[in-house]
Amino acid sequence: MSIKRIYCDISATTPLDPRIGELLTDLNEHIYGNPSSIHREGQAAKAVVEKSRRQIANAINAQPDEIIFTSSGSESNNMVLKGVLRSGDHFITSSYEHPAILKVLPFLESKNIETTLVKPDKNGMVQPADIEANIQENTRLISIMWVNNELGTINPIFEIGSIAKEKNVLFHSDAVQAFGKIEINTEEIPVDYLSMSAHKLYGPKGIGALYKRGGTKLDPLIHGGGQESNLRASTENVGGIGGFGMAAELSTTNLEENTEHILRLETYFLNLLNEQNIPYSINGKKRIPGVFNITFHGVIGQDLVLQLDFLGIGISFGSACASGTVKASEMLVEMGLTKEDALSTVRISFGKIHQLDDVKKVAESIGEILKINVEEFANHAG
Amino acid sequence: MPDKVLVAMSGGVDSSVALLKIVEMGYDAIGVTMKLWEYHDVGGNLLDDSNCCSVGAINNAKLVCDRLNVPHYTLDFTDVFQKSVVDNFADEYLAGRTPNPCVRCNSLVKWDAFVQQADKLGAAYIATGHYAKVQHLKGSSVLKKGRDTLKDQAYVLWGIPAHTLSRTLFPLGDLTKEEVREIARKNKFETAEIPESMEICFVADNNYKRFLKEYIPEKMSKIGVGEIVDESGEVVGEHSGYTDYTIGQRKGLGLSTPEPRYVSNIDPSNNQIRIGKKESLTKDNCEVSGVNWLVDNMSFPCDIQAQIRYNSPVIDATITQKDHQFSVEFAQPQIAVTPGQSIVFYKNDIVLGGGIIEKNY
Repeated sequence: MSIKRIYCDISATTPLDPRIGELLTDLNEHIYGNPSSIHREGQAAKAVVEKSRRQIANAINAQPDEIIFTSSGSESNNMVLKGVLRSGDHFITSSYEHPAILKVLPFLESKNIETTLVKPDKNGMVQPADIEANIQENTRLISIMWVNNELGTINPIFEIGSIAKEKNVLFHSDAVQAFGKIEINTEEIPVDYLSMSAHKLYGPKGIGALYKRGGTKLDPLIHGGGQESNLRASTENVGGIGGFGMAAELSTTNLEENTEHILRLETYFLNLLNEQNIPYSINGKKRIPGVFNITFHGVIGQDLVLQLDFLGIGISFGSACASGTVKASEMLVEMGLTKEDALSTVRISFGKIHQLDDVKKVAESIGEILKINVEEFANHAG
Repeated sequence: MPDKVLVAMSGGVDSSVALLKIVEMGYDAIGVTMKLWEYHDVGGNLLDDSNCCSVGAINNAKLVCDRLNVPHYTLDFTDVFQKSVVDNFADEYLAGRTPNPCVRCNSLVKWDAFVQQADKLGAAYIATGHYAKVQHLKGSSVLKKGRDTLKDQAYVLWGIPAHTLSRTLFPLGDLTKEEVREIARKNKFETAEIPESMEICFVADNNYKRFLKEYIPEKMSKIGVGEIVDESGEVVGEHSGYTDYTIGQRKGLGLSTPEPRYVSNIDPSNNQIRIGKKESLTKDNCEVSGVNWLVDNMSFPCDIQAQIRYNSPVIDATITQKDHQFSVEFAQPQIAVTPGQSIVFYKNDIVLGGGIIEKNY
């Protein structure tokens, strides 16, 4: 007996959009040339890469030559930090960035680069004033994620970017959780670098991109052939790049429609929780649609994740690490949650793949599990 | 609906075959790897990725579970493990004793945590790849030695809470290690050829002195060199610090004596090691603390068999109780009755219980 799975961990990664799946099959079968080769096979591959570059540039209102393909969002983050900062520089970032920023800091410090961590406020947002207060003479780069991966909260990127611009400091944003989910317009937002990844928007894994505003400087992470305007050597992942382009186009052209759909799911989900009198609280204000960092008081988050998994529902607890273990989020404690509440917190993320039925099953399953696990609730629900 | 069984998966060959056996018995298995510690907290062996609790070991466990279509989870127990096992390991050495962390882990971390997890997931039983047996009788369950006398692990299980026995399965109890490997090979398990680990899991390089130096650097730096004295109290040499020694140790004393000399006493307050001839090591009695009984209705004094270290022979002994204090008298004097080590009580192949050696005399 196999149960239908309902995958609600869209923030971790997404399944492939079937249209992109078809494209990948087609590219894998027919496009095998090296984009740097001069023959027709090479030309065909080059066309895939350049078409995708335009699709991604269009999606964020940028120029094609401002897009550099990388292997992932993590690589894009590393490339900016290591490719911009030099000995004696000062770097400002936030304490709740992705590990692909935070784990680079000891490396930077070993290269005589000064770092400052700004904490998010109780609503899960970085305050522009906190950034401004920490800018010093030698501040060279600021990096603040557009949308936080654990909370789904949207940072005031325009304000932070404006401060950076005014102070003549370069500004990078890890936009992996934002791209394809909210509008990103590089003509309006003063940002110098953006990290993006295909697998968060129903594209393939193992392909990412970096937006680098025309004229800004950057040293490559990988030296070698002249691919990507000498900024990222390696024979291109042509299939992945093709899939990324389509993912970018699909998610931006259908952005309004998807957002509306997901907001409908969101409202329905919360109504169902309320109807069952489930005690919960949502952490973080001004969130992207469909992402809930949610505390179910009285139940241990890890237990809830496992029990939902048995019922065919995939959600997450904390943020996953290589070993697959999880601990209570320190970020939540910093935001003011008690350790107990932090341990009772899970992340549920819905996306365009979900229907009202799915959401209903999830809300009801949570209710069932809480009835068994939380005595107080069981008594109330009688 | 078959009963659910939570199977503890270390990522080694034993737990892989234990899982297979549980699946073959028709249970609904769930694989769980307990993440007990991080290499960056305990040091050593950072490059070897095949040991327990490493990412490599967890991935092995996942692969085997996937092959058997069994869900697998990694659960974090690092906090409780550090407090109950690792800190105690360091404290015991500082107190001049020789700890047995595996016993403590089974007693205080694994079984309790696992049974609690089983309850939450609606699992009737827990299973591990230990070489031991549990016989489930009407109204009671009995822990017994495993069939493979060389691998028998009943010794490290004396401290598990008695009430958890009825919930415990040991699918390898009737197998030998070689048979287990053969089963793993036949099933093409990724874990089939993983070498035996004889070390303490969080001291993967088997260098406990290195571990102590890194884990409690301040306390260790205060110890320094000390005196070695003989039976008469005369100073006969210098040692590198009392924590480097264990009762019964002969090598590494740096002495040239006509007859071999052994560490017979460790005095942490004076940082002093006493040595003596082999005869000075033999003791007839010991006091035992933290006793745990796995059977009901014990009455004292009681003739039993005792084992005073892992893989040492079982010896006849009598256990007596006075004011809640247990003492054991050996039928023959025993060498290296070491404070901190476990003493396990048997009646033939049944494990009655055990405790920690406090004092010998």
